[in-house]
Amino acid sequence: MSHGDTIPLHPSSQSDIDEIENLINASVQSGPARVLPARPPSPPRASIPISTSSSPFIQSNIAPPPQKVPPVPSAPPPPPPSSSIGNNNSGFGSPPNTLTEPVWDTVKRDLSRIVSNLKLVVFPNPYREDPGKALRDWDLWGPFFFIVFLGLTLSWSASVKKSEVFAVAFALLAAGAVILTLNVLLLGGHIIFFQSLSLLGYCLFPLDVGAFICMLKDNVIVKVIVVSVTLAWSSWAAYPFMSSAVNPRRKALALYPVFLMYVSVGFLIIAID
Amino acid sequence: MDLNQPPGENYANPKTCFFHVIFKAAALAFYILSALFIDNFVILFVVTVLLTALDFWVVKNVSGRILVGLRWWNEINDMGESVWKFECLDQESLSRINKKDSWLFWWTLYLSAVAWILLAIFSLIRFQADYLLVIGVCLSLNIANIVGFTRCRKDAKKQIQQFAAQTFASRVSSTIQSAFSVV
Repeated sequence: MSHGDTIPLHPSSQSDIDEIENLINASVQSGPARVLPARPPSPPRASIPISTSSSPFIQSNIAPPPQKVPPVPSAPPPPPPSSSIGNNNSGFGSPPNTLTEPVWDTVKRDLSRIVSNLKLVVFPNPYREDPGKALRDWDLWGPFFFIVFLGLTLSWSASVKKSEVFAVAFALLAAGAVILTLNVLLLGGHIIFFQSLSLLGYCLFPLDVGAFICMLKDNVIVKVIVVSVTLAWSSWAAYPFMSSAVNPRRKALALYPVFLMYVSVGFLIIAID
Repeated sequence: MDLNQPPGENYANPKTCFFHVIFKAAALAFYILSALFIDNFVILFVVTVLLTALDFWVVKNVSGRILVGLRWWNEINDMGESVWKFECLDQESLSRINKKDSWLFWWTLYLSAVAWILLAIFSLIRFQADYLLVIGVCLSLNIANIVGFTRCRKDAKKQIQQFAAQTFASRVSSTIQSAFSVV
């Protein structure tokens, strides 16, 4: 009997065979689904071969850490309050070998991402009309640094109650970003939570500049002018992302709280002396 | 080294282990000491949060990769949806990971979270809301790492099972097919 399907199988063994076939099909289909197993590096990498007993994927990492990790704390943008992404699209088109890259590469990647995000959000560029694409690699390092800088600047400018000023500024900005994002989500907008937090943080950059100038020059008129200019700049930066995320009829509902928050921060800057 | 210890018992990556631990310890130590001795909240806040953020970065990007071979991150795909990605080394590299390294990694991760929770309870008892803010930030960073790596490890285990099931299944089916062809 050479044909297996002509043999009357016991029902349970038929279902077992079906199950096994399903497993095979499922594993073949879902193989590359989520977890991407990285291979130890085969392409040539600029790394010093270390004669240790550790597995090959560690080789390229042992050399950089001793010298490179200490400089990390002194690099200007420090790490984020929340997750930062190690973006996989390294441009090589191959599955991520980010597991095995040297530490310095990771640092450089994160730093360059902050700079590029800042340029995308705050300065005029052709991608502003397509916000989903613009802040695709969101990160929270930049926003963290800007919020802390703003808090420090305000605290420095204050002559009394420095600690309260800092704590209030930080809490106001952080909670404000979260609430504004929730506002957009509740209005039925399509925005990703962390992307929006990241955006609102980056839009603080003009206010940072304004606060810094106000710290240096204590004249009230200068302060008002500087704050108005930077306020307008921040609002202009935040406008396309927020407005495109919601229904056009609800645009004002989404934008008004953002503007309100920036105005209150502006008043905080002016009022501190 | 010590001849009595079997080979491979020592840490395979002492420098990475050191950095993994040092920032956590420094953040906790600085918080406790300055809460007791220094009266300046701003300095306490900025330095503690900075150290914790550095620790977050080191654990996520460096020691997670080197000590346990896991990595996690978030991407936004072309449809505009956010996707959490988990990555692990392939099987043979995973089995070659030093046990002591991974023990240190996981235990310090959990212990530091527990320590921050204890400090939170203390500051709750004292009704210090601004210290609670600092602890909240540090705790959220620690928990983000714990959750990310735990999910990563679960994914890695699931992948091992899938792989084993696939190998087993393919072997069984080929055995069955050969058995039937003989009959």
